[in-house]
Amino acid sequence: MPLTAETIIQSLASGLLMGLLYGLIAVGLALIFGLMDVVNFAHGEFLMIAMYATFFLFAFFAIDPLLSAPLVAAALFVFGAVVYLLIVRFAVRAKANAGMVQIFSTFGLAIVMRGLAQFFFTPDYRSVTHSWLGGKTVSIAGVFLPVPQLVGALVAIAAFGALYFFINRTDFGRALEATREDAGAVALVGIDKNRVFALGWGLGAALVGLSGAIMAMFFYIYPDVGASFALIAYVTVALGGFGSVFGAFAGGIIVGLVEATTALILPPSLKSVGIYAVYLLVVFVRPRGLFGSM
Amino acid sequence: MDTTFAQRRRRDLIVAGCLAAVAALVPLFVKDVYVQNIMVLTLMYAALSQSWNILSGYCGQISLGHALYFGLGAYTTALLFTKFGVLPWFGMLGGGIISALIAMALGYPCFRLRGHYFVIATIVIAEIGLLLFHNWDWAGAALGIDIPIRRDSWLTFQFTRSKLPYFYFALALACIAWLVTWWLEDSKWGYWWRAVKDNPDAAESLGVVVFNSKMGAAAVSAFLTAVGGSFYAQFVSYIDPESVMGFQFSLLMALPAVLGGIGTLWGPVLGAVILIPLTELTRSFIGGSGRGVDLIVYGTLIVLISLARPEGLVGLFSRRRKGAAR
Amino acid sequence: MTITRRNVLLGATATAALLPIAARAQTSEVVIGVIYPLSGASAQIGVDAQKAFETAADLINKNYDFALPLAKGEGLSGLGGAKVRLVFADHQADPQKGRAEAERLITQEKVCAIVGTYQSAVAVTVSQICERYQIPFISADNSSPSLHRRGLKFYFRAAPHDEMFSAAMFDFFDALKKKGQKIETLSLFHEDTIFGTDSSNTQLKLAASRGYKVVADIKYRANSPSLTAEVQQLKAANADVLMPSSYTTDGILLVKTMAELGYKPKNIVAQDAGFSEKALYDAVGDKLEGVISRGSFSLDLAAKRPMVGAINEMYRTKSGKDFNDYSSRQFMGLIVMADAINRAKSTDGEKIREALIATDMPGEATIMPWKRVKFDEMGQNNDADPVLLQYTGGKFVTIFPAQAAVAEAIWPMK
Repeated sequence: MPLTAETIIQSLASGLLMGLLYGLIAVGLALIFGLMDVVNFAHGEFLMIAMYATFFLFAFFAIDPLLSAPLVAAALFVFGAVVYLLIVRFAVRAKANAGMVQIFSTFGLAIVMRGLAQFFFTPDYRSVTHSWLGGKTVSIAGVFLPVPQLVGALVAIAAFGALYFFINRTDFGRALEATREDAGAVALVGIDKNRVFALGWGLGAALVGLSGAIMAMFFYIYPDVGASFALIAYVTVALGGFGSVFGAFAGGIIVGLVEATTALILPPSLKSVGIYAVYLLVVFVRPRGLFGSM
Repeated sequence: MDTTFAQRRRRDLIVAGCLAAVAALVPLFVKDVYVQNIMVLTLMYAALSQSWNILSGYCGQISLGHALYFGLGAYTTALLFTKFGVLPWFGMLGGGIISALIAMALGYPCFRLRGHYFVIATIVIAEIGLLLFHNWDWAGAALGIDIPIRRDSWLTFQFTRSKLPYFYFALALACIAWLVTWWLEDSKWGYWWRAVKDNPDAAESLGVVVFNSKMGAAAVSAFLTAVGGSFYAQFVSYIDPESVMGFQFSLLMALPAVLGGIGTLWGPVLGAVILIPLTELTRSFIGGSGRGVDLIVYGTLIVLISLARPEGLVGLFSRRRKGAAR
Repeated sequence: MTITRRNVLLGATATAALLPIAARAQTSEVVIGVIYPLSGASAQIGVDAQKAFETAADLINKNYDFALPLAKGEGLSGLGGAKVRLVFADHQADPQKGRAEAERLITQEKVCAIVGTYQSAVAVTVSQICERYQIPFISADNSSPSLHRRGLKFYFRAAPHDEMFSAAMFDFFDALKKKGQKIETLSLFHEDTIFGTDSSNTQLKLAASRGYKVVADIKYRANSPSLTAEVQQLKAANADVLMPSSYTTDGILLVKTMAELGYKPKNIVAQDAGFSEKALYDAVGDKLEGVISRGSFSLDLAAKRPMVGAINEMYRTKSGKDFNDYSSRQFMGLIVMADAINRAKSTDGEKIREALIATDMPGEATIMPWKRVKFDEMGQNNDADPVLLQYTGGKFVTIFPAQAAVAEAIWPMK
């Protein structure tokens, strides 16, 4: 393909939009990890559930994804909190091999969720057809920007802003921060650790819910859809530095841009190699990712 | 203390010998090929998980990228055989050596990484390997390699219907992996690893030697995993990138050890004996419904076991032993 | 696991295990194994396939007045009216699991024949096992040309393979060129598993030999989260014809991404797969007016052959979908196999194989636009003429070859 200024700008623009969305998908993971050092291996399946929720709200109640996004986020908030209370609470309590128990209890959950999705929703491929924004695109000087992704990018920026404000300026945010630093000490000042963690999981899942609603506008939906995004989300978070919300934001943008530009140089089937190589380069130089705090 | 440790080790060796002898007799009574197939897979996963356990359990470097070594073993054997007519036994050795060298080359930069950064590094390295094989036309790319069936022979390690040769090879591999682990437990390396686990500060003073021992563990672990991969290529006689290097494989190698007891001698064996028949049977007898029930059952069990027995299922046995001692 | 005493006793003599197992099967029912992905990423195909096979079994086991083999009368007359019973197995798209399931079906369920498998990689191992146990295997819907060239004696394929499909596409281009259309450049867009790789290899060869210029040959990773970079390259190449070989997921994303990046291909001629799936047209059908896909089935055949419509209706009551290129081939796979078993008058693998070799089923006795079903020495049916279908006004119409066409192709597409 000829490397004209136009194709390069288009690549960068598309990469940036996709990257912001990757960041939004990944930030819930970063938040939960920062709070309690747990990596949720069912993160992709949370996304899948959110996309199905958006789809069914659209199919049965004709609610446009743009309107249902807050509803889906709220539903995922409850779901995330319930997953914490029913499973993760016990996983972090494990005396032995805490790390492995977390990985495999959430991994097992991922398998169950896929099975349940297949059981209740059938393995058919679904799509939200005819949403307000779906399929719309704007063109600026020959560069095309799809409206759903554009809105997704704006939502991502807004969500990151809100999250930043929330963590640094609200009581709950301070409780999160304090619990994260010393879970034992906060218990002394009367903060219930489990409640804070449950709310943290809820918040993390709500952010996935938000991205799921946006994704549903332009992506197909089926029980295994989360798998395509899960690995990218982990790499995004690790690249930015575990526990850093800003890191997830920056990580997402970098992943998006690297993916888009790798495809200009290498055959597109190898474009993920670019993402992986950048991750390795970064952690070999900075073993805690770009903005890792610990 | 030392005597009990030595006693325990001697007892482990005797128990293992008895179990292996009993296992060797089983196929004389169980002739059903489907059941034999499950037994071969169980032994193969016991061996693979035991190898994984050396690096990830004892040494504490959790790898979710062992599919890379498995795939390298499978591909080396299959390519040497189909392209150059090299017997699989040499391919097995070659694949093991290549994997061990690559594991050390990768270990050098990766062992500086901690926790999840290391885990994700292993995942993406294996993914890069998968993508490269997917795009490597000479190695068959996505078409994979179909190993032609000739007549039954130990020389080419091919048997059309009989599962017994595969069974005994897998049993031998599982025994070797177990013995290597058993030997490592009581070696210098084993002591260092335990010391580092008990007292992270000791890692500083032992810095260089521990680093070298980790490189050694990576090489041994990768070598055995690659031999497992070579075996798989001969056993299935068809390989493609997805089925020997996919991420799922890395998880499947880790799961038995995690469920059985990570960093323990018996964990991987116990885990494999429970998990593999369970996976196969749920798929065969409920998977045909097409409604994902097998996944629900399988996933639920993983969640329950990992929550209820974080130290692994071997905990059930040691607790009873303690009770008996009292 | 069921280690019944009978199994143990049977096994006690080593020779018993070597006897052709099918010979021991009872003839009051004929058990046929069906191996498909019933969970995992391509479960949807497997679940639809299940319905297609059940439809075929229904036709065989009950009395219907169709000109299809075995439809009339109940069961297999050659075996005293024995009923066909299907045993489904799940291979989860894993060649090793496919292999283990084939072995289980043969040794435990005592199936006398196997039909499968959707994924070509799994067909490789399943057909190997069938060869080892001398059980006939029909590749109902695998289209990889390498499959029948491995010199297997028990491998059969009634449906066309990718070379036949792609040749039909190029015949179509040649015919259009003769009529004065300008077709010079092609863009290939294919996924990176066996299906896409085989398909593009064939298309590259055909393009070279027939004088078309391939201006873009883009291989992408199946189930990619984004196809933006790939579509950009297609857009830059802007060939006369875009030829995608994609499964449903990537097909949907491809069409959406093309619209988002303002790329309107001059023409799309697709290698089936995703482009024959209802889910794709439900999602993005409005952007695909005039798209052409190869196929081996077309519902407009019902006008000429009313039983096609009636059988499709049976399938629709089970699955809620019309027959598509996959389900129709799956359906025919079982009919062809059962027909051979019926003529073999036996469930012995070797006898069924002989009957399969002797198969000569006229096209009119199928639901496909095929000339006939007759296998060559490699087990391939070379008379399974593929058709090209165009999607117009919400349904597919046959536009090529001329003898099967019901409408003129709209070229270029809108």
